[in-house]
Amino acid sequence: MNRKYRIGMTTGCIAIVLLFFSCNSKQEFKGKIGMTCMDLTNPFFKLIANEMQDEAAKYGYRVIALSGNQDPATQNNQLSDFVAQGYDAIFLNPVDSKSAGEGVKKAHSAGIPVFTFDIQVTDDNAKEFIISHIGSDNYQGGRLAGESMMKATGDKGKIAILSFPEITSCQFRVNGFRDILKENNSSLQIVTELSARGNRNDGFSVTNDILQVHPDIVGIFAINDPSALGAYAAIQKGGKVEEIIIVGFDASPAGKQAVFEKKLYDSPQQFPRKMATGTVDAFIAYSEGREISKNNFIDCKHYYYSDSIKDPNRVKEQW
Amino acid sequence: MVNRLMKNYSMILVLFGLCILFSILTLKEQSPDSSSAADQIIEKIEHSYNQDDIIITVDAFNKHSESFAILLKEKLEVKNHPNVLLVTGIPRDLRLALDSLKLSGKKPSVIATRGDVEKWRVIELLPELYPEFSDCEIIVPETYLWPDFLKQSNLVAIADRIVVIAVMAIGMTMVIITGGIDLSVGSLIAVSAVISTIIMKMMGGLEASAWAVFVGFLAGIFACGLIGGFGGYLVARFKVPPFITTLGIMLMGRGLAFMITDGFSIYQVPNALTWLGQGTTIGIPNTVILLVFLYSTAHIFMSHTKTGRYIYAVGGNEEAARLSGVPVKYIITFVYIISGITAGISGSIQASQLNTGTPNMGIMYELYVIAAVVVGGASLAGGSGKILGTLIGVFVISVIQNGMNLLGIESYTQQVVLGLVILMAVLLDKARIKKFYR
Repeated sequence: MNRKYRIGMTTGCIAIVLLFFSCNSKQEFKGKIGMTCMDLTNPFFKLIANEMQDEAAKYGYRVIALSGNQDPATQNNQLSDFVAQGYDAIFLNPVDSKSAGEGVKKAHSAGIPVFTFDIQVTDDNAKEFIISHIGSDNYQGGRLAGESMMKATGDKGKIAILSFPEITSCQFRVNGFRDILKENNSSLQIVTELSARGNRNDGFSVTNDILQVHPDIVGIFAINDPSALGAYAAIQKGGKVEEIIIVGFDASPAGKQAVFEKKLYDSPQQFPRKMATGTVDAFIAYSEGREISKNNFIDCKHYYYSDSIKDPNRVKEQW
Repeated sequence: MVNRLMKNYSMILVLFGLCILFSILTLKEQSPDSSSAADQIIEKIEHSYNQDDIIITVDAFNKHSESFAILLKEKLEVKNHPNVLLVTGIPRDLRLALDSLKLSGKKPSVIATRGDVEKWRVIELLPELYPEFSDCEIIVPETYLWPDFLKQSNLVAIADRIVVIAVMAIGMTMVIITGGIDLSVGSLIAVSAVISTIIMKMMGGLEASAWAVFVGFLAGIFACGLIGGFGGYLVARFKVPPFITTLGIMLMGRGLAFMITDGFSIYQVPNALTWLGQGTTIGIPNTVILLVFLYSTAHIFMSHTKTGRYIYAVGGNEEAARLSGVPVKYIITFVYIISGITAGISGSIQASQLNTGTPNMGIMYELYVIAAVVVGGASLAGGSGKILGTLIGVFVISVIQNGMNLLGIESYTQQVVLGLVILMAVLLDKARIKKFYR
């Protein structure tokens, strides 16, 4: 083989071997748990993954965290691999609530317990196999957002919703928001609901478009903080910061900071750490043969400006 | 013969290397199969326990190893051990069984089980949870060394993951041989899956007959063939660059899939849907049979038919092909139709494997498919490439993904490794071909 090819190949091999060993050279564990979530590039899930790894390590388990990359088939393959490897448990955050059912069935027939977090599996044939679920009560969180919106706008005027209908948990938020408005006979008028795909860029451009058609809106509810911040950038550009109230969701670090700077009025808070430790606790309780409840919902909480000044973790914490 | 094989399919070496590497790296202690495990345990019990001692046989709930605990109980009873307690299920069941023993004032002498159950914390913490049972011995069978990678269940898992990409890669290989590229295949998977499942839903949903599945699949595949043909026509007739044409179709396809379903998954599908992706015929997965059939057909088509050779001619030199009477426009349209159809078949398989139609299926798959085809030895400049080479390319990529999951390598690192391996594979191929031509 030609010399320059040999150099290329050797470099490549060394790089791969180094990468493999950088992952494997940690302490000895007595068991492994497979974790797969919607998207590990999202800091919310990265935090959950890290927290699970730390918590499970206390009991001697190693958590292998994989990203489903928003693709149900990738996630299904990962579940098959966990089963083939004979892991002790699977922590699952389904990319798609229905498609994940097939992987859950496979795990069940191999005797591997599956715990879901954040999002539930809703496939009729598979949901009974889930040992336990822990997640935010997104519907209740949506209701909190609705409350804040009514309070902040004085309950009158036109508002817009930036949704993300592909994600079930975000649908629940919007449902909760709409329901509380309806129950209170609110005179707020929802003029449009558009998908901002949960990110800052789309939040910005979609809000820009909304402002062209409805320059007189008084409030925007965005189903997460990135899209809320995108919306803020758009109203800032349109010079309407004083007139439009924005309510976000999650109370992510960026969201908390934005509430502190009064860019967002409220951002109903989720508790990813509780979700992570709750999942590990459920597994340990299962493994010790203790009784466990099948569904655990964590209530969301308001996060107002007044909370942000009192919150010592606002700046230093990751979430 | 060997020389020719090595020249055309040198990537097979890389594949073997990877298999050996992963086999070594995933070497692990495995539990023996049910009956030899039971025999081992019985030998130990016979050796050191009385016949009226209480023995608990425990196993996790599953079809495979439930038989182990039951088998053990049966064998022990034959050997005159009447006090055998059978527990199959989750740790909670064992706990309840222990609680009731404790209440009745009895003491188990032995808990017999297998490796994975031995790790249950209720067994590990037995001395603390049940101090009175502290002299109870836990017996597990001896383990043996065997790589996870080569376990039968894992090989089936590889076959499962390979089939979707592999089927699409057939059409992609043909397109790439003509010097084109098809970026729309990932979106077409979603289009095919949602069209076929929505038709099944309309034809009766859960209660629909197997015919509905057949009609649904045909409709999905047909629609993808049409869309592919539309793109091919634009490329052939108006000379729109294939990259741009299929980029547009990729966006349209994805949007269409979301429009058809309103963004939700379609899960009201008949049970017969899983037959293609999860069923077996005489013990062989249906997907594997389909794969073998499609690849042998495609191989014969490309190497032994006139149209097949025309495809190479168009890719080699379009103008020369036209002047020597090859119907270039038809050939180009044809390969895009095939690419659409194979993507449609992949979509049917994917829908069947996941038992749903989801509009976000197949995101980024076009890139994996292109990588597989190129790793398999096809040139993006057109004119060269082999169907069987592509199959090897698909195997290389799937084996790497599977192996890294087995090793528990984090997602971020996986992407870097996959990228590196693709580059190395192509580099190796270049080096070998150069050597043979010299």
